Amino acid sequence: MKYISALLSIWFFACSETHQQVPIVMEEVSLASDVELPGPEKLSEWNLFKGDLKNLQPVHGMLPYELNTPLFSDYASKLRFVYMPEGSSASFRKHDVVDMPTGSILVKNFYYDTHQLVSGDQRRIMETRLLVLEEDEWKGLTYVWNDEQTEAFLEIAGTTRPLDIFKADGKQVALEYSVPNLVQCKSCHEKNGKMTPIGPTVRQLNREYPYNNQLTANQIDRWKSLGMLEGVPAGNLPKLPVWDDETTGSLNERARAWIEINCAHCHQLAGPAKNSGLYLEYAQTDKYRLGVNKPPVAAGRGSAGLKYGIVPGKPEESFMVHRIKSKDPGTMMPEVGRKLVHEEGVALVTEWISEMKP
Amino acid sequence: MKATYLFLGIILFIACGYPPGAPVAWKSIEKDLQRKMITTSDSAVIEIPEGNFMFTRALLLDGKKHVTLRGAGVDKTILSFAMQEEGAEGLRVSYSENIVLEDFTIQDAKGDNIKVTDTDGITFRRVKAEWTGEPKETNGAYAFYPVLSSNVVIEHCIAIGASDAGVYVGQSDSVVIRNNLVHHNVAGIESENSRWVEIYGNETYQNTGGILVFDLPGLTQSGHTTRVYSNKVYNNNYRNFAPEGNIVASVPPGTGLMLLATRNIEIFENEIVDNKTLGIGVASYDLIQAVGGGESVGASEVPEEQKADDYNAYYNNIYIHHNVIEDSHIFPTLKNDFGLLFLTKFPFSTPDVVMDGILEDPDTFNFCMTENGDATYANLDAGNDFEGLNTDIQKVDCLGQQIPPIFL
Repeated sequence: MKYISALLSIWFFACSETHQQVPIVMEEVSLASDVELPGPEKLSEWNLFKGDLKNLQPVHGMLPYELNTPLFSDYASKLRFVYMPEGSSASFRKHDVVDMPTGSILVKNFYYDTHQLVSGDQRRIMETRLLVLEEDEWKGLTYVWNDEQTEAFLEIAGTTRPLDIFKADGKQVALEYSVPNLVQCKSCHEKNGKMTPIGPTVRQLNREYPYNNQLTANQIDRWKSLGMLEGVPAGNLPKLPVWDDETTGSLNERARAWIEINCAHCHQLAGPAKNSGLYLEYAQTDKYRLGVNKPPVAAGRGSAGLKYGIVPGKPEESFMVHRIKSKDPGTMMPEVGRKLVHEEGVALVTEWISEMKP
Repeated sequence: MKATYLFLGIILFIACGYPPGAPVAWKSIEKDLQRKMITTSDSAVIEIPEGNFMFTRALLLDGKKHVTLRGAGVDKTILSFAMQEEGAEGLRVSYSENIVLEDFTIQDAKGDNIKVTDTDGITFRRVKAEWTGEPKETNGAYAFYPVLSSNVVIEHCIAIGASDAGVYVGQSDSVVIRNNLVHHNVAGIESENSRWVEIYGNETYQNTGGILVFDLPGLTQSGHTTRVYSNKVYNNNYRNFAPEGNIVASVPPGTGLMLLATRNIEIFENEIVDNKTLGIGVASYDLIQAVGGGESVGASEVPEEQKADDYNAYYNNIYIHHNVIEDSHIFPTLKNDFGLLFLTKFPFSTPDVVMDGILEDPDTFNFCMTENGDATYANLDAGNDFEGLNTDIQKVDCLGQQIPPIFL
């Protein structure tokens, strides 16, 4: 049945493209090659969790954490952990990701909760991504969970998993959940050509976290008291607003936070999209660099015939909006990491541009 | 299972009314090939066999040295991205050194066909990158797209159907673009914000514009020092199908060569024939801004913020010599402001070489053209409402500064 539906979709595709060569049949063939795995084949081999793997109960030394404004990943929920070798600690960085010691591991589990699943099944873990700091270099590995939720396996070339979910607005959608290949990981996690974490900056970590029934604490304080973070200066620390919580920041601040986490990993001077001249970090103050009255550089049809990334007061004339609400691979931004549109994020950016003074 | 395929194949033909003929049997090597490209050791050759291969996500090569990706030949090994669901380009190479891509065809990526970024040493050899079918707005921007790279060679390649540029080199240094066949793109060959570029031995036809050398504001570097020679640039009269807003959308159909806001350029021994609007156009960024902004020519300037990074909006040091520049058309394009302007200013005798005359400093300005047969010339003086428009070629007939060969 799976094949039939796949073929029907090909048929549909073929008919919508007139007078082109019509792709019809796809037979998977092997190139016969030995592949050296870049890491352990199974997630369980890492010994990151105790007991039943799917309960994601961290072993001693793994600390859960959250970000103020996370990347949108097709409405998946994320459970994050950080591990640092006993006795070592990260160093404070004001703007960049905290400087972690060799041997650190960042663990991010992508899952859909029961209420997000149309099937109403138990929590469905899709994948577990690891960032491992070996010597001076971060390495990314992705483990894809089996249907039985008993194990996750290293995925090199990427894969997709069909899943029916409810979006945040309650609408049902048939999602082709995409697991990135190992280079796709790097296409976001890349700074000056080197793999790097994105999330754990001080401004993202600066928030409360419910560690257990007895303890809710600020994450920075907690890391400090556990000896995991050194060199934190006295006084107020930078704090990113929570994009969808109006009590945490102005419209401008929240939109900028959303744009930073969803775009700035590429759109910064050290990122893969530096050729565009569009730089979207939270700290960016140059309006032109943010896209205001900035023409497209190499956007092709991504600009949709619009002249500027942002036209203040006119979201409908701003191709930034057009690109973040597109699902077409040749137009959409970010380029990878989502198959769905983040409706609420798009609404936020649209409102931000609407309110922007020329 | 095979019976099912056949059955559905038949339905497909009936349903689509697609002309009869052998269906293309696509195979998938996607996972295997991508796995190989990720796990390959440096100095490896990855061979792709002959066949038609369909991909659903971008193929990526990152952080490798001395790796060759080799097919069995153009139109023998075909990589199609017609069913692409993920990734903004077909094949992408990033942060690598000395990569060779050769002997295959790549088709129909949703974004660019081949993008190479942040790479030192990239050779494209005997690769065809195309969008099949009628050229259209929804085709990807670039067929070949090395950017932020150095030591780039593109040779014996074929580029067809790009909605921006067939062969595009951006923000790169030390570039050779030679002996390529480039047609049915908006821009045939475009060098943008690149330095030390040689463009020679290419054949470009049926594009909107044959060869462009542009320098745009707000990017990581400014371009200069480019030699364009021994190219055949003819019949570049195709309609402009670039999405609006992009810089090439302002290129008039019927443009042979166009220079924009760039410096230190030598153009020689080219055959520039039957491009109906312009043989060679030389423009400042002011002009493009004015036209693109829908304002009258000369009324607009580069917005203050775009002048960042020491951007220079004006061209200088241009030497055009020993070219054949001819056009048998009577009328320029009427689908572009420039075409209409030429028709008004030069009825029935569109000049072969046109510059807008908007200069940074007339005292240090250097523009020579000599030994170009019967080629005609015009300085529009567009910055002064065409008041000083003149067509006296003697004024610019001089020996300019030749650029020594960049690669020996």
